[in-house]
Amino acid sequence: MSILYDEGQQAIATESRRVLDARVAKDRLLKLLEQVGEHDATFWDTAVEQGWTALAVPEEHGGLGLGLVELGLVAQASGAATAGAPFLTPGYGVTHALVAAGNADLAAKYLPQIASGDVRGAVAFAEGTDILPATPATKFADGKLTGSKPAVPGAIKAELALVWASGANGPVLAIAELAGAERKPVSSFDNSRLYADLTFAGTPATILAEGAAALDLAREVLARMAVVTAHEQVGGSEALLHIARDYAVMRKAFGQPIGAFQSVKHRIAEMYGLVEIARANCIHAAAVAGTDEFLVAAADARLTATEAYDTCARDCVQIHGGIGVTWEQGLHLHMRRARSLAIEQGNLLFWEDLLVEKLTGEAA
Amino acid sequence: MSEIETYRAKARAWLESVAPKYSRAARGKLNLTVEEDLALGRQYMAEKFDAGFAGINWPTEIGGQGLSNMHKIAYDSEEMQFGMPNVYFGISLGMPIPILIHYGQDRAWVKERVIKALRGEEIWCQLFSEPSGGSDLAALRTKAEPDGNGWRMTGQKIWTSWAQYCDYGVIVVRTDPTVEKHKGLTYFWVDMRAEGVEVRPIKLAGGDSHVNEVFFDAVRLEDSQRMGEVGGGFGVALHTLMIERYIATDSAGFGPHLDLFVDTARDLAINGKPALKDGRIRSAIARNHAMRAGLDSITKRAFAMMQAGMQPGPEGSLQKLVAVRSRQKLSEMALDLQGNQAFDFDPHAYVKEDWGTSWLNAPTGRIAGGSDEVLLNTIAEKVLGLPQDHRPDKGVPFNAIPA
Repeated sequence: MSILYDEGQQAIATESRRVLDARVAKDRLLKLLEQVGEHDATFWDTAVEQGWTALAVPEEHGGLGLGLVELGLVAQASGAATAGAPFLTPGYGVTHALVAAGNADLAAKYLPQIASGDVRGAVAFAEGTDILPATPATKFADGKLTGSKPAVPGAIKAELALVWASGANGPVLAIAELAGAERKPVSSFDNSRLYADLTFAGTPATILAEGAAALDLAREVLARMAVVTAHEQVGGSEALLHIARDYAVMRKAFGQPIGAFQSVKHRIAEMYGLVEIARANCIHAAAVAGTDEFLVAAADARLTATEAYDTCARDCVQIHGGIGVTWEQGLHLHMRRARSLAIEQGNLLFWEDLLVEKLTGEAA
Repeated sequence: MSEIETYRAKARAWLESVAPKYSRAARGKLNLTVEEDLALGRQYMAEKFDAGFAGINWPTEIGGQGLSNMHKIAYDSEEMQFGMPNVYFGISLGMPIPILIHYGQDRAWVKERVIKALRGEEIWCQLFSEPSGGSDLAALRTKAEPDGNGWRMTGQKIWTSWAQYCDYGVIVVRTDPTVEKHKGLTYFWVDMRAEGVEVRPIKLAGGDSHVNEVFFDAVRLEDSQRMGEVGGGFGVALHTLMIERYIATDSAGFGPHLDLFVDTARDLAINGKPALKDGRIRSAIARNHAMRAGLDSITKRAFAMMQAGMQPGPEGSLQKLVAVRSRQKLSEMALDLQGNQAFDFDPHAYVKEDWGTSWLNAPTGRIAGGSDEVLLNTIAEKVLGLPQDHRPDKGVPFNAIPA
């Protein structure tokens, strides 16, 4: 696949940015921070209306049959806007698992509803500090799940979950309707991510993959979601770069714009470097999805995008001085989002170890 | 296969055919002096010219091949992998000769110089930096004063690469100290064998001496040696620095590949456990891989854009800044990792294959061609539109700037 965006892809990028600029309001996002269990309904309605929920769903199931490149561009726009509602990324994870597992009945049952936005997906892999534990404590037996998954993104409102569990013959990837699970909302620093502890007590579920195939598919799903998130992180980083730059040009101290001081301008130039390196890795990773290169490319994208967003959030606030730490100014929306995105889909430690394992053959 | 890829394959085939004579692998065993290596380099350049790979993106009427920038980058990135003895000609053909092609007045003479330079028979240097101004080029003090129908030049240049082997150079000097610093400069070519030119090599921290001080004592310049207008030298100098925009890059910062770090670590232990199991080592490998992959992707995208007839983005300017800085740190870590075994040092080891020389010569890379700080300023001002630094010498005649 080409690493240059074609006209259709550029149109998706421009249009998603335009729509989100018009509809995402900082005041609303700030309010959501203090409400557990609420997400930005305007953003979600927009996502459905614009067909973003259908982007990566195959055409025979009512989707647009596009892929990671297009979804990445939408994620980049929503990252720039710190748009609330976490369903796009896990929805894609569930979609990919359903398609890749090759279970025609389940795909026909759920994919049209995911495409139409009537069913929202969650991905419940993590336990304890592990994003993908080798032997999950959550059990699958006799078509039922037992156990719990902590702070699953989107789980407060999602209808369907892709669950990583232990079966009779090693790990399994199973799909479960959340009507049959208990959810306990988690009060978080980024509440519109809708984190909830999920408890399964004999929740009916269907296996998508087992054993080594389950681990391969789980890693693939995680890597694909990580690339979507990396785009979102690049969008956030780039927005912060522009905010920092505009402020440094406008704000004066000691008789000149603070952007004329090298300590400030170099900090902003370094932000630019991190954003462009992460963007380049994201473009490459999205372009090689489905090839042998993908896992390494996804790790590269994830590592550089996390570093970019964290550094930009840190330094943009610093460049603003006092105003940067006020509630109303809202830079903390990015600080919070940088943290939640750094943890969702696996933290830096996980991706460093996975990358080195792929590069050297040496597991951590 | 695209036309460029076909060309790349053709280039590679030719490079492989001459590699037994010229490649780094072949020369490494011979213990050549710099002069012997240069002589071999001249032979290589002549063969390259005869094979039709010289002046790839230059017009045919001046001795080039009339192909695109893409063809040149394709050839260069293949050539880079062989370590051919071409380092002596890089600046000569990279900047002075293209500028001569653009501004040289006597076209027949220019063509003769171009062909001799392409064949490695003559080498040109670039005489810009001075003791009083490197990053601040327009602060230079070497002066040329009218002398009959020509000029007479006196002063000193520094950091001039390969000047000790050069036949000619391009130089920017002050011809009017009574106007603002960048308005009083004029650009010439100079015969490095002329009376009054003296070259003194500078031994660098790593032990080699490829840069020089060059002294000019009342050296006569004909007005026909002038390139551009009197007082227009700063513009020609900027033009010179802009020429080599599309060059082959190296995300390893012209130091060792990350695979060498993995190989180094693979044989070592930390706290009795394999170094590759150590989280600090894993983190360094992962972060470097991710950063270098990003730079490689930027290069690939720039390449694809050029192929599609588009202008690549300004992110290409990150390459040297990011790559050389991280090469320096990675080289330090590779040495530290080896403990006392790292003290065994060969100053002549190839920087792309050895942590010791890579580390010791990394600062040269971070400073030459624009220090980190200057590159960051350029990105901040030219790409991001941030304001210039406070410049007390702005708008002041050169001879009124407080020393």
